[in-house]
Amino acid sequence: MSATTRQRLERALEGARFVESRDGMPTLEVEREQLIATLRKLRDEAGFTSLTFVTAIDRYPKEPRLTVHHQLLSIEHCDRVRLQTELPGEDERLPSCRELFPGASFMERECFDMFGIQFDGHGDLRRLLMPPGYLHHPLRKDFPHHGIEPDRLYREWDRDRRQASECAP
Amino acid sequence: MGSLKPADEAMDAGFLATRVDALINWGRKNSLWPMPLGLSCCGIELMAMIGPKFDISRFGAEAARFSPRQADLLIVAGTLTWKMAHAARTIYDQMPEPKWVIAMGVCSSSGGMYDSYAVVQGVDSILPVDVYVPGCPPRPDAVIDAILKLQKRIERESPLKDILSGPDEVDERGSGQLTYQPNRAVERTAGDLHPHDPRASREDGA
Ligand code: SF4
Repeated sequence: MSATTRQRLERALEGARFVESRDGMPTLEVEREQLIATLRKLRDEAGFTSLTFVTAIDRYPKEPRLTVHHQLLSIEHCDRVRLQTELPGEDERLPSCRELFPGASFMERECFDMFGIQFDGHGDLRRLLMPPGYLHHPLRKDFPHHGIEPDRLYREWDRDRRQASECAP
Repeated sequence: MGSLKPADEAMDAGFLATRVDALINWGRKNSLWPMPLGLSCCGIELMAMIGPKFDISRFGAEAARFSPRQADLLIVAGTLTWKMAHAARTIYDQMPEPKWVIAMGVCSSSGGMYDSYAVVQGVDSILPVDVYVPGCPPRPDAVIDAILKLQKRIERESPLKDILSGPDEVDERGSGQLTYQPNRAVERTAGDLHPHDPRASREDGA
């Protein structure tokens, strides 16, 4: 971790809590309530103008179960920072940062699709990869590898199609 | 040996004696128009097959149509996901009879290495398949071989019977009655689970 990145982060955020990360990237732990304020400070004061990804880790059956990661890039200073926010398994809500970084929209949709994390204030939290109407969140560790009724939507579609063609004159 | 004279004379006059079935089959098998459903990597190999090096026009099947309404051979080349399944089925339904299906590659034959929630475990769960081509991806010559096998099969069909039997007799092929049975033949044990899956942890801590 370069000293300057760390210094910049400390200047922008008082009492920033750094945690160890294996790849050496500066990683901050933030509470869910502080997430938006922290992101705003990082964007406006520390030069991290680009949100490169939002994703999550499921640690089932440990608690807190889910950890959401936001990774930011400073184009000006050429460095990155990662924020990690822990969420308990029963209450997987997080404020959306779509207002701050419009590009977060799709990443939050993907994160919702795969992990079932509800981003409050997103406004358009539809599934991204799985088809609409799918009931599960496949990247959760308790989701079975072969899925739960993977053909359910197809069978429903097939049934409706057959009924429609039977009714047709 | 009887005299071949009458037939020879007839041929000189522009006639050819044959069975209607044989004539129809001859026409069908030598002008298969494939509809390439290139869903992933196998699609690239399919393009190679159509291209000049392998050149399926030698077998009369080079007229790839990207509209199912103009095609009679559906080549499912690639990984079919459940999200895509209804689209594939719609394409099949839109093809006019007679129609045939080749499942190209292990993905479309059996799900292949994608033994997962997202992938249809073999397109025969939703479509009737005539020829399966193994390989990941199959070489273009393997697919050409599949087309030749299909041609042999078409030779043995009796189209006249189907035509004369009228519309009441429904061909059960492609009625979509087959549905996915999640690996009913396979016993699953804890060893098949992902090592991080909590259900996979053993009591003895080993
Ligand atoms: S069989 Fe192999 S090459 Fe073909 S689609 Fe599947 S993974 Fe790709």
